[in-house]
Amino acid sequence: MAPVMSRVMSRPQPRTALVVLACVAACVAPLVLPDLTFFMRMVMAAIVVTGLSMLMGYSGQASLGQGAFVAAGALTVAVGTTRFELPPLVALLAAPLVAAGFAALVGVPLLRLHGHYLAFGTLALLLMVQAAMSTFDVLGGALGVSGIPPLGVGDRVVVGQLPYVYLALGCLGLVLLLSHRTVHSRFGRGIQALAGSQTAAESAGVPVNRSKVTIFALSAGYAGLAGGLSAFFTPYVSPDSFPALESFTYVIMAVVGGLGTIWGGVVGAVIVSVLLQVLNTVSSQPGLPPTAAPIMQYATYGALLVLALLFMPRGVVPSVDAGVGRLLERARVEAPG
Amino acid sequence: MSEFVTYLVTGIALGSSFALIGSGFVVVHRVTCVVNFAQGSLAVLGAMLSASLLAGRLPHVVGEAVTVVVCGVVGVLVGVIAIGRRGTPPLISLIVTLGVSMVFSAAIIWLWGQDPVSPPGLDGFATILGAEVERQRLLVLVVTLVAFAALSLFFSRTYVGKALTASASNPFAARLVGIDVRRMGLVAFGLSGILGGMAGVLIAPSNALSFYSDLPMALGGFAAAVFGGLVSPLRTLVGGLGLGVAGQLTAGYLNGSYQTEVALLLMIVIMIARSRSFAHEEAK
Repeated sequence: MAPVMSRVMSRPQPRTALVVLACVAACVAPLVLPDLTFFMRMVMAAIVVTGLSMLMGYSGQASLGQGAFVAAGALTVAVGTTRFELPPLVALLAAPLVAAGFAALVGVPLLRLHGHYLAFGTLALLLMVQAAMSTFDVLGGALGVSGIPPLGVGDRVVVGQLPYVYLALGCLGLVLLLSHRTVHSRFGRGIQALAGSQTAAESAGVPVNRSKVTIFALSAGYAGLAGGLSAFFTPYVSPDSFPALESFTYVIMAVVGGLGTIWGGVVGAVIVSVLLQVLNTVSSQPGLPPTAAPIMQYATYGALLVLALLFMPRGVVPSVDAGVGRLLERARVEAPG
Repeated sequence: MSEFVTYLVTGIALGSSFALIGSGFVVVHRVTCVVNFAQGSLAVLGAMLSASLLAGRLPHVVGEAVTVVVCGVVGVLVGVIAIGRRGTPPLISLIVTLGVSMVFSAAIIWLWGQDPVSPPGLDGFATILGAEVERQRLLVLVVTLVAFAALSLFFSRTYVGKALTASASNPFAARLVGIDVRRMGLVAFGLSGILGGMAGVLIAPSNALSFYSDLPMALGGFAAAVFGGLVSPLRTLVGGLGLGVAGQLTAGYLNGSYQTEVALLLMIVIMIARSRSFAHEEAK
């Protein structure tokens, strides 16, 4: 993808217009939507998936256990505020750092694995984090951690859901900007070379292991940030808050949106979340059996994943991008000047 | 000491189910380099189907046999989806089979509901070296041993088995000598369906399964298969039995609730320890 920012100055781009439109829509939506919880969950998923999409798309590694790092961030806030009485803001800032640190620590041995092995290794990590959370009382034990204070500085605390939603949107913006900067940096080019061929990248002077651990830690940091936000939004953290299915959902969102694109994570998160919300509404209609909801959820997840991978393997964003590009090209050829 | 023997015997009996599921992973990966995430779901499907068939419709043995055949057919269907499209990279195929396993979950909830199901099996206990073991578990062990023996004979002695191995070790050369590599992949998926169905039919009588069991089963089986580098049936058997024994020893001497975590930790350690040789296999 060409650097968007430099071209903005010369003439208006359809892509820039889309981005502006998306920003406006994101800022207005919380004011008109009746269900802020749904919107908040979607924004947090978008933060996690942006990191996962970067990890999967640019470094060619899959993580089926991204929830482990969401949990690390949420636990930082939950345990930090209730047990160590950290100021909420400090806990929130610490959440992505702790998650990234945790990822860097486990990443050193874990990232020696590739492909299937890493996918299963990260899934195993998630299950072990869950087990540790329910075993150790410091991490909440089987009951979980409750009584997380609201976010605020000193006596001024946040009331209601709306400020959290805007905070999350701000974080999403930061995360997108950071991803953009990362991908177009020297480090980002090294990571992309690594995905193509590890040996070739190594011979070209890319520090392979360090780069892999860094990108893993960065994507974990995003997940931790989302986890920290979620712990304030829903002030209760337990092992059941991070089911494996949720981590699979992140993968589905990343794949549907388009791996290795900055906006793919957001687009995937929005498409999958909205679809699920619609199905949820449909399946909770009176007259349907109570099993309708899980059946629809699983069927949608599965069908989406299979169909997206088989028929739109590059995801929505690159496919649409290419389609629009072709249209523009044709328009320019037909009407020169 | 007698305590130790008890753990050993029950561990081996338990571990054989890991090995049986692991064998399904091995068969598919050996031929197609794909890890079939739906392996656990195939076992759950087998359990559900046999419970329905055995509930007054079909006698024992016939019911189980029909179930295993159906699972084999379903396995082929999974294969068609996972590798049917040319040029799908193995890691993408893994995620496709993850999607397939979710569709399975939907179908299983739709047809059988969300409650765990346990079809009838052998009742009672047998005493071995002073350890009481469920007879059903012994049946699992015996069937597992027979299945592994049959599998290794199949791969080394029959034409199809050799063709399967050839497709695995060098797809290009195999195609040159007239082996349809894609069809061999589907055969492998069918075989994995049969093995998965057998695992479900055999495990469920002593360990009720629900749609939710697919993930733990897939992880346990994968952990066993990792011991064999995802290619060796024999080492998978050893790995599965080892995992079962390690789990029982932890349960006996430390704490019962850590069994799964010990298995997962062992899996990660083995994977990392062997990561160098895995990289060699992938580079080939």
